[in-house]
Amino acid sequence: MTEPQYLLEMDGVSKEFPGVKALNDVTLQVRTGTVHALMGENGAGKSTLMKCLFGIYAPDAGEIRMNGRKLHLPDSRSALNGGIAMIHQELHPVPRRSVMENIWLGRFPMRGPFVDHGRMFRDTEKLFEDLNMDLKPDTIIGNLSVSQIQMIEIAKAVSYNAKVIIMDEPTSSLTGNEVEHLFRIIGDLKKRGVAIIYISHKMEEILRISDDVTIMRDGRKIGTWPASELTTDLIISRMVGRDLTQRYPNRENVPGEVVLRVEGFTSPFPKSFKDVSFELRRGEILGVGGLVGAQRTELIEALFGLRSVASGSMLLNGMPVKIRRPVDAIRHKMALLTEERRVTGIIPVLSVLENTVIANQKSYARYGFLNEARRREDTERHVGRLSVKTPSMKTLIRYLSGGNQQKVLLARWLLTQPDILLLDEPTRGIDVGAKYEIYSIIADLAASGKSIIMISSEMPELLGMSDRIMVMCEGRLTGIVDGKTATEEQIMRLAAQHSA
Amino acid sequence: MNVNVKKINSFLAENAIYVVLVLLVIGISLSNPDFLSLSTLTNILHQNSTKAIIALGAAFVLITGGVDLSAGRVVGLAAVISASMVQMSDYPQKFFPHLNELPVFVPILLAILAGLVVGLINGLVISKLHVPPFITTLGTMVIVLGVNSLYFDMPPNNSQPIGGLRSDFTKWGSGSFQIGSFSLPYLVLIAIAVAVICWVIFNKTRLGKNMYAIGGNVQAAHVSGINVSRNLLWIYGIAGALYGLAGMLEAAKSGGASSAYGNMYELDAIAACVVGGVSTTGGIGTVPGVMAGVLIFGVINYGLTFIGVGPYYQLIIKGLIIVAAVSIDIRKYLAKK
Amino acid sequence: MKKKWIPVVIAGALAVTALSACGKKDDGGSAGSGGGGGDLTIGVAIYKFDDTFMTGVRNAISDAANGLAKVDIVDSQNSQPTQNDKVDLFVSKKYNAMAINPVDRTAAGVIIDKAKSANIPVVFFNREPLADDMKKWDKVYYVGAKAEQSGTMEGELLVDYWKAHPEADKNKDGKIQYIMLTGEPGHQDATLRTKFSVQAIEDAGIQVEKLAEDTAMWDRVKAQDKMATFLSAHGDKIEAVLANNDDMALGAIEALKAAGYFKDNKFMPVVGVDATAPALQALSDGTLLGTVLNDAKNQGGATLKLAVALAKGETPSKDNTGFDITDGKYIWVPYKKITKDNMNDAK
Repeated sequence: MTEPQYLLEMDGVSKEFPGVKALNDVTLQVRTGTVHALMGENGAGKSTLMKCLFGIYAPDAGEIRMNGRKLHLPDSRSALNGGIAMIHQELHPVPRRSVMENIWLGRFPMRGPFVDHGRMFRDTEKLFEDLNMDLKPDTIIGNLSVSQIQMIEIAKAVSYNAKVIIMDEPTSSLTGNEVEHLFRIIGDLKKRGVAIIYISHKMEEILRISDDVTIMRDGRKIGTWPASELTTDLIISRMVGRDLTQRYPNRENVPGEVVLRVEGFTSPFPKSFKDVSFELRRGEILGVGGLVGAQRTELIEALFGLRSVASGSMLLNGMPVKIRRPVDAIRHKMALLTEERRVTGIIPVLSVLENTVIANQKSYARYGFLNEARRREDTERHVGRLSVKTPSMKTLIRYLSGGNQQKVLLARWLLTQPDILLLDEPTRGIDVGAKYEIYSIIADLAASGKSIIMISSEMPELLGMSDRIMVMCEGRLTGIVDGKTATEEQIMRLAAQHSA
Repeated sequence: MNVNVKKINSFLAENAIYVVLVLLVIGISLSNPDFLSLSTLTNILHQNSTKAIIALGAAFVLITGGVDLSAGRVVGLAAVISASMVQMSDYPQKFFPHLNELPVFVPILLAILAGLVVGLINGLVISKLHVPPFITTLGTMVIVLGVNSLYFDMPPNNSQPIGGLRSDFTKWGSGSFQIGSFSLPYLVLIAIAVAVICWVIFNKTRLGKNMYAIGGNVQAAHVSGINVSRNLLWIYGIAGALYGLAGMLEAAKSGGASSAYGNMYELDAIAACVVGGVSTTGGIGTVPGVMAGVLIFGVINYGLTFIGVGPYYQLIIKGLIIVAAVSIDIRKYLAKK
Repeated sequence: MKKKWIPVVIAGALAVTALSACGKKDDGGSAGSGGGGGDLTIGVAIYKFDDTFMTGVRNAISDAANGLAKVDIVDSQNSQPTQNDKVDLFVSKKYNAMAINPVDRTAAGVIIDKAKSANIPVVFFNREPLADDMKKWDKVYYVGAKAEQSGTMEGELLVDYWKAHPEADKNKDGKIQYIMLTGEPGHQDATLRTKFSVQAIEDAGIQVEKLAEDTAMWDRVKAQDKMATFLSAHGDKIEAVLANNDDMALGAIEALKAAGYFKDNKFMPVVGVDATAPALQALSDGTLLGTVLNDAKNQGGATLKLAVALAKGETPSKDNTGFDITDGKYIWVPYKKITKDNMNDAK
């Protein structure tokens, strides 16, 4: 018998959910010591496939082999024991416990009946040293940033001595330096013979670090190619099943008069935004750039009345306004699409319809009673207009893909007929095809005279969509540049313009 | 064949509580066929009408993701307040010896008002001071018992059970429409009316929709411009008023009241809601589900006593039903995995 | 800015009002004191205040204390540890005697040890300590009723009715077909009343047949629901209803009324225990057949007089307490049968 060619093989895997064939006879072959990128639009089946591999879902058919030996994976624990680790897109740390307890959770080193904290501390130190991470094992995890927690998750996966590590969008909350650090760690892992299955929407990353690329669409495998044979456009066309000649819509409208003027906005918290002034014109898309920690989210949440403001003023169409709560903002025809779709956006246990109409409920109510027909009409119209893919209006929103959830949230706000839309990372975690649709919607909105403030951490998106880009660093506004002429370097420089 | 099995399985999962209810009735009837009679039906409905009203109140709160432990004690308070004011004028041991006969709606409204006030206090503390509902209502539960005991202990009553209630009051709890040989208690009609009103609130009003949204994701509700505090205030208020109504009806039904009335009813109500498919984490629950939950316990209580099962076994069976019904019901959501 | 001081101010204000309100009201509430005369102080601990019968005893104690001694009456909140803390308080205040209504009768030994080492005489009442504990010290006394007596009298009430009304034997089989509604499972009174009421009937030479027995937890509403169930299960076979207390008896009567009893010459003998005010009303209405009075007034009076005698250092006797002392340590206050004829005795 010869040595098997692949470290990990998933063979003919199928999985069906009520009404959806999520995976249809998918085969995935991963070589030792390589980075294998898994690509596809949201809803293509990447996450489902990985959940089958990690023992979270039981596939209806198919086989999983490691080094030629068949694996039985009834749960995540047996996947970990079998040498498979996963870094989830959403992190689930135990916030009040220390870093080391989070890493060794469920398998604490023991001395008799007691947890051996000394050994746990030393093991963790050793692990961080190996990975060149500068962290103390006994820090409480709740005090760390999202990116630090992400690094800890990676360290945890390494600590399992896994042969295959699944990384689901590992860079979505990392800064540039941290991404470089992660790539160095990935390089080390490859040298140790570890295979990495890498899920990301960022083409540049994929082309840079992966060896093989498998592309999926609608629950099927389209094919596997060496990364060296691929280009961004090739990947995108294979993912969406058509050629994409253009990644951003054409924008022709010219911004009109000033609708919003913000002056000297300062947060009561010293580390947050301070003395921010800018103006927004009718029909304008104002991009907001900056690194993690630039306090961009805090600023626009303050505009919407979700956060308090110590000083500063807001003029809407020349009239000063006070916005203390979201209700005030909505009354002044503002809308906010929040960054954390799952935390502050969707209501998972409710239907698409309820999620769509929630912010506009008032207009359907007479003496507190709701007009059901108009609620359904409005939902169907907007859901249709934004081409949300959903079996019905009654489907619970949590069963939709991320892109479709985001479109429902956009529909929610369009129903309130806002003049100003605040969009916080509107395309985060959304696949390429749906991204283009969302860009088109945003461009149409601007063309129809709505004003838009859009936070984005993706440089091409900022440059491709914005009329002007305002850049922040550590809570201060460091510059506003013209979207048509600005360059990535220019924005990076402003984003890193730390005060002395 | 395989498809049929799947269909049956998913039908059972979707309708678990109703299946459990039917199985119970079948099981009890097999053991004593006399169980299947009209009087059984009216008895069960009559005995569980007040419990249904309390469970509906609890459902409001549970759907917002909260919990209301004060329910039982508010029932007791309302029972004592209403009973203390509707005693017959010639009753020797009157709570208020010199009180003239009040129109019957006065004590009824006062009882509901008392519940409403406690509910509004709950809502105020939870929404404005941000004390978790469990703690807030634990506090009011104890406070209400204290207030009720003080009232009940006032001379000349000195903690004597209150009796001798006027018939124009007790008829609300024990009277019935006679349709041929069939009698339909007023109490059942009141409970049905309350259920219909609750169904309308849950499904047709802004308050109802907001309640589901708050329970489903309070942050998203807040961002969407829902005034979370005001909605919670109303919801706890309505829940309290329903407990008040139930307490007054409980006094009318039994023809008396004491401060021990309603003890532990909150747990019965929560159990009925949970068995009826209301999620304790919020956002999920329907009026028919709650009604089915109440009826399951009603059938157990009545049926097991009817066929002579010992009280200790009854406790064990009830506990098993709670866990079993919820474990079947929860498959509705796990099935997607 | 979050106004963090608001909850603090509210809590403070609440605490101040609550304390001042409690402070003003001396009778009832947490600490009660009655009487005034003499320098004697007697500490009284009740197992819990919101118990109907014990409230009667409590009031009788403070009435009897008038002019004899000061009493400090406290609530043990149905918790033995709380009661032990209260006893420590009495000891540290150097009271002249204590009257304790134990939460848990088996815990009396601990209280006796405390009393003995402080040399404060102690009178237990209403719940009888174990005989071994009673022997620990000579200044330990007990005042109470013999619980089984309440059951026996309840049975006798039914026997009297049965003998005077031959038509009560509906099926003419010479047996009483009865329903038993019991109190909280495991409660001593519930067990004894259930057992001795039936035994009294059998002792009178009448056969019985139990149709159903279930607990209604001393509760009127629950008893009403249980009775409705029994009525639909057994219907006219039922010839008598025995309840461990009046509340349950009254609940059963409500269910019987709904089934058409107590009008048009349709009667059902129902008996209870306690002689509460609503029960007396039911007696005069002719719905309740009889009840048994646990004599709160005499229990309270005997307890107080016994404690006063001990506090003065006297040896208790019929002369200074007004009651017979049995076995040198016990005063048994008898129950009373109450029917429509003698119901004024219970008012």
